[in-house]
Amino acid sequence: MSAIPTPSVGDELPRLVIQAVDAEKMKTMAALLADSNPIHWDVDTVRELGMGDQPVNQGPNNLGYVMNMLGQWAGGAGRIRHIRVRFLDNVFAGDRLEAGGTVTAVGDDGTADCDVWLARDGTHPVLAGTATLSLV
Amino acid sequence: MTSATQTPTIEELESLVGRQFPGGTYDLEPWRVWLTNDVIGAPQRTDGIAHPMFCYYAAMAGLGISIDEMFTLCYASADDGPMFGECDIQQLRPLEIGATYTVRGEITSAVRKQGERTGTFDIVAFQLEVVAPDGEVSSVVSNSFIFPRRP
Repeated sequence: MSAIPTPSVGDELPRLVIQAVDAEKMKTMAALLADSNPIHWDVDTVRELGMGDQPVNQGPNNLGYVMNMLGQWAGGAGRIRHIRVRFLDNVFAGDRLEAGGTVTAVGDDGTADCDVWLARDGTHPVLAGTATLSLV
Repeated sequence: MTSATQTPTIEELESLVGRQFPGGTYDLEPWRVWLTNDVIGAPQRTDGIAHPMFCYYAAMAGLGISIDEMFTLCYASADDGPMFGECDIQQLRPLEIGATYTVRGEITSAVRKQGERTGTFDIVAFQLEVVAPDGEVSSVVSNSFIFPRRP
């Protein structure tokens, strides 16, 4: 990984767009995680629970998108040293998501702190938090 | 133990703090990394370093009990509608594809809250360490679950 230009406080991170969350990939993740919760793959269960008519994405997938956005900006997700997020709402199959962030501090040690977020249609927040990256 | 969906007393809830998980190991197998990258849309790397989401996956898979067992431990079940609260990941050094990691951890806090809209709920937090084959801690993962409680 090579160093990237030093950012400034207030810089907006390039957004990462997920055009449509894929229900088939939720099934793969459920198998990988041995996640028995049917809301990720059984639409009938989702309907019975009154949660709509699309499978619910696994929360960690949503965090993964934000990490990818940070990695795209910083030259690899391996530069993430610390990330802390809150899950604010569900993401459903077919949702269009945007991940983004803002630089809030730049350290003398080559680190950058950022506010990060994930939003449905770029407006409805589904995840928010902070991250620290090493840029050197 | 109180049945899974019965609201625990404050004493029962607070007694969870310090409870250690059995722990275990997690093999960072290449096929698992490839499929996970594909699911979350991450690039397939060729340098042997895993995506930092594996700090989380390794921690949760290696803590030694299932999510359902975690809920039972916290006097709840999936039917109670538990929710993910916060997730905090420190990546102290990258995880290496092909390595076997050891996981250890414990419940760090358990508190009862009252919300105007949500009613009574408990927040149970736990911290897990993912330890590399050389004994160094590679990542520290802190998560919390929110458990709605019946009146």
